[in-house]
Amino acid sequence: MITVKNVTKRYGQHVAVDDISFTVKKGEILGFLGPNGAGKSTTMNIITGYISATDGQVLVDDIDIMDDPIAVKKKIGYLPEFPPLYVDMTVQEYLDFVYDIKKTGFAKDKRQEDLDRILELTRIQDMKGRLIKNLSKGYKQRVGLAQALIGDPQVLILDEPTVGLDPKQIIEIRSLIKRLGREHTIILSSHILPEVSAICERVIIINEGRIVASDTMDNLSRGLDDKSRMILRVAGSESGVLKAIKTVDGVKFAEAQGVKEPDTVDILVEAGMDIRRPLFHALARAQYPILMMRPLDMSLEDIFLRVTAGEKGVQ
Amino acid sequence: MLAVYRREIKSYFNTPIGYIFMGAFLGVSGVFFALFNLFGQSPDFKGTLSNITFIFLLTVPILTMRLLSEERNKKTDQLLLTSPLSLSGIVLGKYFAAVTVFLISLLVTALYPLAMSMYGPLAGWEIFGSYVGFFLMGSSLIAVGLFISSLTENQLIAAIITFVVLLLTYLLDGLMQIVPTGNAAGIIFVALCVLALAGLFYSATRNIYIGLLIVLLGGGAIGITAGIDASMYNGLIVKVLSWFSLLSRYNDFSVGILRLSPIVYYLTFSAALVFLTVRTQERRRWS
Repeated sequence: MITVKNVTKRYGQHVAVDDISFTVKKGEILGFLGPNGAGKSTTMNIITGYISATDGQVLVDDIDIMDDPIAVKKKIGYLPEFPPLYVDMTVQEYLDFVYDIKKTGFAKDKRQEDLDRILELTRIQDMKGRLIKNLSKGYKQRVGLAQALIGDPQVLILDEPTVGLDPKQIIEIRSLIKRLGREHTIILSSHILPEVSAICERVIIINEGRIVASDTMDNLSRGLDDKSRMILRVAGSESGVLKAIKTVDGVKFAEAQGVKEPDTVDILVEAGMDIRRPLFHALARAQYPILMMRPLDMSLEDIFLRVTAGEKGVQ
Repeated sequence: MLAVYRREIKSYFNTPIGYIFMGAFLGVSGVFFALFNLFGQSPDFKGTLSNITFIFLLTVPILTMRLLSEERNKKTDQLLLTSPLSLSGIVLGKYFAAVTVFLISLLVTALYPLAMSMYGPLAGWEIFGSYVGFFLMGSSLIAVGLFISSLTENQLIAAIITFVVLLLTYLLDGLMQIVPTGNAAGIIFVALCVLALAGLFYSATRNIYIGLLIVLLGGGAIGITAGIDASMYNGLIVKVLSWFSLLSRYNDFSVGILRLSPIVYYLTFSAALVFLTVRTQERRRWS
């Protein structure tokens, strides 16, 4: 559906996007992950035709954006980082205007029907008559999303769609995006990691204008998560507990993490395999009751920090 | 284009801008009508019109300052530029909206000669002719404002620069009287233009040879032409300045003559600036 080939964007000496290539299949939800200033928005702006790449090619549905920008733009709904709202218009007026400029070709009565559907979807029916400048940040964001949905575009490009929303709205918008993902191809950017892992099937991690990792969520976490790690809280003395733990087969690493509760010690254990049962028996034999055992999975945060830090060496 | 046009017109009257423009325009023209025609007991309305051309200095910047600068400032250009609209459609929609607001104000002032016509005969066609000229001149100046608004993100800066540029075009005719007209002055002027052009190319390409080539070619051309007939440089600066003299083109209209050449001049001038605006918008995508 979307093919990005060797796209580079330079601003004078500064390289914002450096030779990025990826493809998005039809119906896929792709997450774009990276710290601020990594080049996420720039890449999205290039795909939507807002700015032109210095080098490289973008194909949407096999049409090159340089050859037929109008045809490509008709296929894309775009929610930029700052929702492009005319604040002196009401929500209804604004969305009507978007219908006009997107050349959706709806008849007048059909259009209102379609608009009501989108208002319902984004839950802004009650705000129809309000001036956009009087809306809260969360509602503005939703008007921006409604704007992107107009014209039923095959591709949705959402730049940080949940910024400024409260937790309840975030959950709503996420489930809305998931639902939209059934019929639309979606590229979504975020620097909120759980968001990407909750919505996206595939993630591209981008840092300093380059792609540093690109894989499905599962593969990404599996590839880096080669050891099981856990935190234990054990009643007993530090040295005694550590000694008992090190008798267990498979323990690679054990280290005290300090005392959080009187007469106990927290210990970080790393092992090459599942050692929970032998660990329990060993500590039970040594009369050190285990009060807590919490596995430490490799989260997206860890993946992210690892790939971005690995890029530049130790920071 | 139509959607952008409609939105722009609406926005003029959703914000104070449209009212400020019309208020200032009608206020000044009303005062002059009262002074010249009513208290002066003169039926010469085209004289009044040519006396109030300075009105554009104050009102055109108000009308055009936010046209494109605000879109960029509020990032709403992202909506327009990622929608299936052509760039020229967007720019033209905005230009025509500003011209329409101006035209509406102008039509309101037509009440003055209409009111006068009830008390005696008026030179109707002459007044119509000077309205045409007045409208065309205003439209050209609006095109200047539109272009300047496309250069900056800040409406206030756009307004100030527009004011200064309009002021310069108004002073141009006075300026033309004092610039030197000799052959040498003309040659120096062209040489400076060649240098400026070379500098422009050099800053765009960062290639010193292109700059030098332009200097050499330009210098050679000046040398040859001056050698053949130096008198062609006589009064050249005045000639060049007069290309930009919007005000002098209005003189024909103000005495009641409707000629084709000033009409074509104003239309070309506006079209060229609208085209330049489209180009600057297009260029922005690449930088």
